Amino acid sequence: MERHTAKSETQMLLEVVSGAVDDAGITRADVDFTCAGSCDYVAGVPFSFVQNTDAIGAWPPKSDSHVEMDGAWALYESWVRLLLGDMDIALAMGSGRSSTSDPAILYPMEMDPFYLAPLGADHANLSAMQARTLIDSGMLTERQMAEIAVRTRRDAKSNPLAQVSGDFDVEELLAADYVNAPLRLHDMPPITDGACAVVIARADKARELCENPVWITGFAHYTELHNPGMRDLRSSTAATLAAKAAGVDEAPIEVAELQASFTHEEPLLVEAMGLGPEVSVNPSGGPLAANPIMATGLVRVVEAARQIRVHGRHRTLAHSSSGPCLQQNLVCIMEGD
Amino acid sequence: MRTSHERGIAEVTITVESTIKFPYKRSLGPVIGPFMTALAEQRFIAIRSGSRVICPPLEWDPETAAELPRDFVDVGPAGTVCTWSWVSRPTEQHPLDRPFAFALIKLDGADTALTHVVDVESIDQMSTGMRVAPRWRAERLGHITDVEAFVPGEEAITVNGGVPGEPVTMMSYDASITYKIPVSDNTIKAHEATAQGRLVGLKCPVCERIYARDRGFCPIDTVELTDDHEVELPQRGVVTSYTIITPVQYPGQTETEPFSRVMVLIDEIDVVMMYQPLVDVPVEDVRIGMRVAVVWASEAEKADAGRPGNLVGWMPTGEPDNTDPSLANRIM
Repeated sequence: MERHTAKSETQMLLEVVSGAVDDAGITRADVDFTCAGSCDYVAGVPFSFVQNTDAIGAWPPKSDSHVEMDGAWALYESWVRLLLGDMDIALAMGSGRSSTSDPAILYPMEMDPFYLAPLGADHANLSAMQARTLIDSGMLTERQMAEIAVRTRRDAKSNPLAQVSGDFDVEELLAADYVNAPLRLHDMPPITDGACAVVIARADKARELCENPVWITGFAHYTELHNPGMRDLRSSTAATLAAKAAGVDEAPIEVAELQASFTHEEPLLVEAMGLGPEVSVNPSGGPLAANPIMATGLVRVVEAARQIRVHGRHRTLAHSSSGPCLQQNLVCIMEGD
Repeated sequence: MRTSHERGIAEVTITVESTIKFPYKRSLGPVIGPFMTALAEQRFIAIRSGSRVICPPLEWDPETAAELPRDFVDVGPAGTVCTWSWVSRPTEQHPLDRPFAFALIKLDGADTALTHVVDVESIDQMSTGMRVAPRWRAERLGHITDVEAFVPGEEAITVNGGVPGEPVTMMSYDASITYKIPVSDNTIKAHEATAQGRLVGLKCPVCERIYARDRGFCPIDTVELTDDHEVELPQRGVVTSYTIITPVQYPGQTETEPFSRVMVLIDEIDVVMMYQPLVDVPVEDVRIGMRVAVVWASEAEKADAGRPGNLVGWMPTGEPDNTDPSLANRIM
């Protein structure tokens, strides 16, 4: 993950797919099903996902699918596909090279084409209005938002893939000008180029491939109305429903990796998903540290899985989001043996 | 699982800038159409959904997804700002070319908020709960931007006349996005080769298939291809398939008459170059088996900055056709 790359999406995917299959001790030929998440508007190339299949070694032909969504949804489709029972191993990917255009110009393309896009309404401005709703209703202050930025940037220091990290002072951050008031630069995600790939397998195959698999024990996603003017922006019903359906309250969660792309989204999501103060949120630094759009959510899954595999946690949660003001929300709960 | 391992700012020396235009024309349907028609008449309408009044109107109940009866009701024109953001640097997509606010505006009589812009001189004039009213555009088309902006106060700023006689059923949305795409080293090398009148490819060290010089990797063995794998290609071949294209005059199409694109199987090696132009061959004479050779641009053509590349296309060599029937299977 980096600010600019000269590599194509296909080349970025080639590297992370090689890493993922090597890590799983398999080859591309062992993969039964592949699913990628990417966006043509981001790539600036029609049917860009067709070129990206070059990264998966699609000869002899593979069973392959694509979602115009974050790679976390590609993982969801892969998981559903494996549940059918006739395949053992799937590979999910997400990739985006968003440094090639201006997000303020790009993002309106994902909005309602009648009421929102023709105004140039973009992700950051709609998010800024959600932040103000939280501030106006006394749920959050700009200072608390800056404190979240300070914490995530500090946590990101131990993440070798982080793009924005370091020690910052709340007062200094608050002294900066607004970008889209009430949002300052520290409230917003960086522009990042990057890709991510994950191998999943059915239980028997997973035990065959490794000693300590990370188990997906709950997986769900929900969406709500697109138009932010028709929702209660103080919360996220879709996030609440997704977390509940994934089983968030069935046992304690130790770490949550949330696709909180703006500082104010973190407390909103924590509240919506019913996560208590004991839950460590975004120890990787989260999307405020690196935001490879179309892969940011899948990176959350990887980071939450790493908490189990590397740091010995037992039960973690990954979240991904899409659409304006947290319209769509996905929750994946993972457990160790 | 693995994530990309680079960080920091990489050296990107050459980029190509391209602007993609999205000239969408959309039909509006039975609910958005009347809303847009009302805008052209300097009115706002909403739709009833049970006891709620939804503006801008939707075709379906947001809670149950049931189709809503077309029970329209006038709302506004003034309303209340529910929340807002400040845009200090407008883009060309925004309705105003000076700093302004985006706002969610609950029009009087509506239960949901309309997203629009508020035109005030500075951020200090914005506040949640403030009252705003529309400033209508003089020339209205039945488009969300028929409201130029909302302004503080209770009174709409209307413009007399310009009421269309007919319902608005379509809208245009002309977006464009400019990309600065990095040019890969292999693409640069491919251009350099053609500039020198050379046809080159990249040979996979595993399967020995040969790919176009700008490809970057073998998709079958997923091996990265670099300068080390460059091979010189013969500049003659045979047409294995073709298509005759009757140009549709979409934006950017410069051809006006039917033209051909051919697949050329290069001599001696197993490479098909796809969608190649033929030079000076009438479309009725194009055929499978035709022997062809590369045509490079003349010095005069090279000097023409409007020309895209040095490889002009392929021209018949005059040799007898290759009559092998299996040729037709070689399209890739």
